[in-house]
Amino acid sequence: MDEVGLSFFAELFAHTFGFWWVIIPAIFLGLIVGAIPGFSAANTIIILLPLTLAMGEEIGLVFMVALYCSSRMGAGIPAILVNIPGTAGAAATPLDGYPMTKQGKGPQALAISFVSSTFGGLLTTIVVLFVMPYVAQVVYYLHSVEMIVVMLFGISLIATIAARDTLKGLIAGFFGLMIGAIGADHVYATPRGTLGFLELYDGVPLIPALVGLFAISEAFLIIEGESILSKKGQVLMRDAKWAETFEGAREALKRWWHIVWTSLIGLVIGVVPGAGAAIASFVAYQQSKTFSKTPELYGTGHVEGLVAPESANNGVTSGTLVPLLVIGIPGGATAAIMLVVLQFHGTTVGPDLFIQKPLLAYGVFSSMAVTYVLMILTVFPLARYMSRVTMVSTVYIAPVIISFTLVGSFVPRAYVFDMYLALAFGVIGYIARKTGYHVAAILIGVILGPLLEQYFLRALKMSKGDIMVIFSSNIGNVLWVCLLLSLAVPYLKERHRKRSAARDALRRGEEAELGGTTE
Amino acid sequence: MTPGKFTLDRRTMLQGGAAAVGGAALTASPLAGAFADTFPSRNLSVMVATREGGGADRNLRAFWGVWKKYLKTDMEASFYPGAAGRVGYQQYMGIAKPDAYTLLFGNMGPETLNWVVKKPSGFDFPGDYIYFNRVDVDPSCIFVDAKRSKFKTIDDIVAEGKKRTLNVGVSRIAHPASLGVLALGRHTGAKFNLIPLSGGKNTYAGVKSGEMDFGALPMSGTAKRHKTFSTMLIFDDKTYSDGLMKKLNNAPLVNRHFGMKLPPLVSARAFAIKTEAVEKHPDRFKILEETAAKVFKDPDYKAAVEKAKAPWELIRHGNAQECADYAKSIMAIGEQYKDLLSGKA
Repeated sequence: MDEVGLSFFAELFAHTFGFWWVIIPAIFLGLIVGAIPGFSAANTIIILLPLTLAMGEEIGLVFMVALYCSSRMGAGIPAILVNIPGTAGAAATPLDGYPMTKQGKGPQALAISFVSSTFGGLLTTIVVLFVMPYVAQVVYYLHSVEMIVVMLFGISLIATIAARDTLKGLIAGFFGLMIGAIGADHVYATPRGTLGFLELYDGVPLIPALVGLFAISEAFLIIEGESILSKKGQVLMRDAKWAETFEGAREALKRWWHIVWTSLIGLVIGVVPGAGAAIASFVAYQQSKTFSKTPELYGTGHVEGLVAPESANNGVTSGTLVPLLVIGIPGGATAAIMLVVLQFHGTTVGPDLFIQKPLLAYGVFSSMAVTYVLMILTVFPLARYMSRVTMVSTVYIAPVIISFTLVGSFVPRAYVFDMYLALAFGVIGYIARKTGYHVAAILIGVILGPLLEQYFLRALKMSKGDIMVIFSSNIGNVLWVCLLLSLAVPYLKERHRKRSAARDALRRGEEAELGGTTE
Repeated sequence: MTPGKFTLDRRTMLQGGAAAVGGAALTASPLAGAFADTFPSRNLSVMVATREGGGADRNLRAFWGVWKKYLKTDMEASFYPGAAGRVGYQQYMGIAKPDAYTLLFGNMGPETLNWVVKKPSGFDFPGDYIYFNRVDVDPSCIFVDAKRSKFKTIDDIVAEGKKRTLNVGVSRIAHPASLGVLALGRHTGAKFNLIPLSGGKNTYAGVKSGEMDFGALPMSGTAKRHKTFSTMLIFDDKTYSDGLMKKLNNAPLVNRHFGMKLPPLVSARAFAIKTEAVEKHPDRFKILEETAAKVFKDPDYKAAVEKAKAPWELIRHGNAQECADYAKSIMAIGEQYKDLLSGKA
């Protein structure tokens, strides 16, 4: 690794660009599979395994990396346009992406997503390339206790959502957490709350919950109108030109600092094996809102609310490959499948890979970087045309959403049960929306609840049931303080804002009174 | 930087297309019936009780890559993880037709222990399915992080375990490696706290991150990662080649080192089939058994295993009787530790 210098990286990038003919088809394939709920980079790589194994090791790896990166971006497209997150990692994307679409800002929203994803992904990839050994150190410091607090950062988003209607928000959140507790327990694998359904032993599957709560319930709702767009939105979309797409790119680039720090959140969380993009995007969204000057705009189609999850979930993509390459332990499902391919070719991953096959080891990240560069060039121009889908009448779009998502629910596990489950979640989501409960709060509970439980039970088991274990780590305690601060800051800011407003009103009243007296 | 092996040109495309059209026509034609009596006349389906990308996946692909030569058909693998392997078995018993076309691929050790802890509902083991083709024998071991752990020998671990409770990362509680750790603790008086981390990948991560004091898993994985993890103890009665033992840090054998009388605590991946399928189609079962046995003598299989950096000497064929004997022995030792495995002690 000592011989690795700038000239090495320059050569590496030049060499990787030579694989454009693999990368570009993989980008489009990744966009498609990412956009269809139920498909993902992991199961697509599995389906294409015979092809990938038949390719040379390097070409296969470049193909898989490009597919992985672009599928992450692809998952955001339906999340923004029709409120269907393609994967759990895009579950926070529709919170602000879809309201933008409804306002007729589909091209802008897609452009913001594309720019945030590519720049977030590119930045974290470059960071990883140069400081990989240091980034890998995260594994040594984020244990169960610390991860409990990280999970709570994401779950505290429920409280933020509940701010609009505390009782309903909390009920929705707890409902989601209860659903998340279904399945075999993490220690003795004893089934809980499965109602005898074998299909629920592994917990409530995420894709049916995701598409049911978001997409199917949305399809039930939009069928009540003629278009998913507001009246004003329809006019804006009809007149949309390239300018709107570039406006979106400008809006995202103006918030470059936001892209930087939210993608770094994704990178750090991605390095922890098993954490994943869902937690990263929720944490990034929650942090983004906490430190925003305009938190009240989140959930209404706010640019920062879209930038944060999209940058973060692409940051995760770079992060999950770090433990695979540095310590030989895959950080996620896709990385685990990549390991199968590498081992098939006789490559052992781990620290020695950087000495024995530096071109291959660093090539993973250079492929990622090149993919992001090619992705922005190839996908960005499509934003304008993709957003046209919102102009299609709901008479057509709602049945398409339902049928696609039902198929998508079936794909990951091939259980017909999952299709019924998606429909059941669709009904729950529809009732929740009609009665003012926030489906995102339910979903956060469903996604993050099992992860929180897993880390919590592990910490408790390690401490022999001592609950104080959650305060036993210095890093954990710092995170606890940060969590409390991030929960208190919005409240304090709001209180300060109200006091200032009251003071201003008082002063204006006094001035008016004074003016009146003078007259 | 090697050029890709995969080339798709006009000629291969046309050949592939012609083959596909011919195959489709044959399948639809009356001639198809003539082939139906030849087993297997279509793809076999293999249900795996774990997630994709793990050791079972790699093992299955390596074996199948050669077995298909003898069966003259291909395989469709489907993965049914969950509840420490129970989902896969319940699904197999629930949906697989007893026609010998659907097999199960599992890890006999942990999955047999599952039935010790909790009897399956709706079917009986070993009555309703049998393992018939063991692929490997992978003894359990205790390992630590090679660079960061303060433990240099198993005696260090035991000594520390007598002073404080050590956290031990394991794949799942009902696992031969977990049994080994429990037995060692009972014999030496050291206190070990088993932490199930859902799979080998997470167990390695738990040990590497320093959260676990040490880990216990099948030894082929630690041998493969010998530069990252040091093996401290092997739960087996025999030593292996110098090359493999070197990768295993020349770790001592449990019975020899501690004067214990444990049977070898091994994981053993194997194919299983419904007993009903064997009874209804003994001819098909015979073909499966005979062709599977041929794989172990095939140099291609050895090459595939070695290419994946797995130790060839752990690849050991076992027939239905050997599999049944193994399952019986693991159930017997599981019964001894049932209280600990089920969290009742």
